[in-house]
Amino acid sequence: MSTHRSVFRDETKLDINYVPYKLPHREAELRLLMEFFSFALQSPEKMAQRVMITGDVGTGKTALSQRFGANITSEANKHGISLRYVHVNCRECHGSLFLILQHVVSIFHPNFPKRGYSAEEILTSFMQILDEQNSHVILALDEFESLIDREGSEAVYKLTRLQEARQNKPQRLSLICVVRNLKSIDQLDTSTRSTLQSNIINLEKYSKQQLADVLNDRVSLAFKPLTVPEGTLNLIAEIAISESGNARFGIELLWRAGKYADAEDLDTVPPECVRKAVSSIIPAMRKSDLAPFSLHEKLFLLGIARTLKKNEKAYVTFTEAERSYAVVCEEFETTPKSHTQLWKYLRSLSALGIVRSESGTGASRGRSTGICLPRIPADELEKELKTLLEKQET
Amino acid sequence: MKNMNVEDVFSSRLRMKILRILVQVGELNGSEIARRLNVNYITTSKHLKALEDESVLVHKVFGRIRLYRLNERSPKAKAVQALIETWEHANKQ
Repeated sequence: MSTHRSVFRDETKLDINYVPYKLPHREAELRLLMEFFSFALQSPEKMAQRVMITGDVGTGKTALSQRFGANITSEANKHGISLRYVHVNCRECHGSLFLILQHVVSIFHPNFPKRGYSAEEILTSFMQILDEQNSHVILALDEFESLIDREGSEAVYKLTRLQEARQNKPQRLSLICVVRNLKSIDQLDTSTRSTLQSNIINLEKYSKQQLADVLNDRVSLAFKPLTVPEGTLNLIAEIAISESGNARFGIELLWRAGKYADAEDLDTVPPECVRKAVSSIIPAMRKSDLAPFSLHEKLFLLGIARTLKKNEKAYVTFTEAERSYAVVCEEFETTPKSHTQLWKYLRSLSALGIVRSESGTGASRGRSTGICLPRIPADELEKELKTLLEKQET
Repeated sequence: MKNMNVEDVFSSRLRMKILRILVQVGELNGSEIARRLNVNYITTSKHLKALEDESVLVHKVFGRIRLYRLNERSPKAKAVQALIETWEHANKQ
């Protein structure tokens, strides 16, 4: 009987749709959102709110909104208030107000007809449903720019000024607009824009340490204890930082690296699995990218690849790389270049994105420079360089 | 208004189909029911009205849209639902 081992405890915790209970480094924003909507727990019929959440890709906008949605609806239930949080991705609805509202209404009436009426009619029906059920909705419009791009001010105006046509009736609909860049609302007319701009929560990009905390949190949920070494985690954080600090990318990389570890039946997830995972996501380096390098650049790179492969770490120090390069030079019967020349090689290889170097990376104590391979498995790089170097010799 | 006899309700293939559809999906608008029955809207409306008169169905109006469903307060609707569900379940075994 085969006993399949896995480094995962629960890989669903790395799924893009999983909303964690804890949002590291977003606690203040979550509290602020709860403050903005505190009325919904006391007298939801007297007020409606509009909040914008902005931030780059992978800064946690969607997770923040969804965690808030789950928290506030659970609080509202305790208070006996019928409050629903509905999250719609405007892009998935092709930026169409009709499709967005159709999706929202289908939550209340799954077989609501899909055609034969206008967006205004469905909005009226939606309000009727909420009035009949004495319910309130916080509608989160993710990728809000899609709606603006397709429908312009008119659609946003309809949503934000809904209550003006419902005089003396209870307020039912609040909005959270999730947008990457505030500039995208510039194309709205002044009055529509003014209804949106009062409450803005801007999510700053994660720093490397913050990304490492986010990843660490997911590791504890998704992986078995002690299966993801610190070096692996730091390498993922490093790569995610280079991809604009995208936490979502980092989490996906973590999952993929775990899958590679499982496929190789390993007990832990070494940095090499991360490099394999990256090369499967980002187009790996082509052979032609390596060919133009000088003999000694290739030898230096080979030294780095071999050291990384041998010690199964995420980083090698410059000293380790230099030593390994000296051995490689002996193998290829050539005199090693000077220390200063190797620094120049490192700079040019870093500029091309083939290696990444950083001082004080945890490769060792002190201020030594750590060198990592962010995009290509060390094993693959070694094979590629050996082929090229052998050709060069003949 | 005179109530229909059970055989008058059950003898209509279309009425039984309407009931079966609504037991399966919960609620539906008239046009969609007509489309699923593959008959015209007028014929469908006639049967829907007959079932509503019998209190087996009720509808909710949203502007121009009418959503029909079984009348959960009607003992007849409950009996029809139990019959159809039992029948479908037995057919699957």
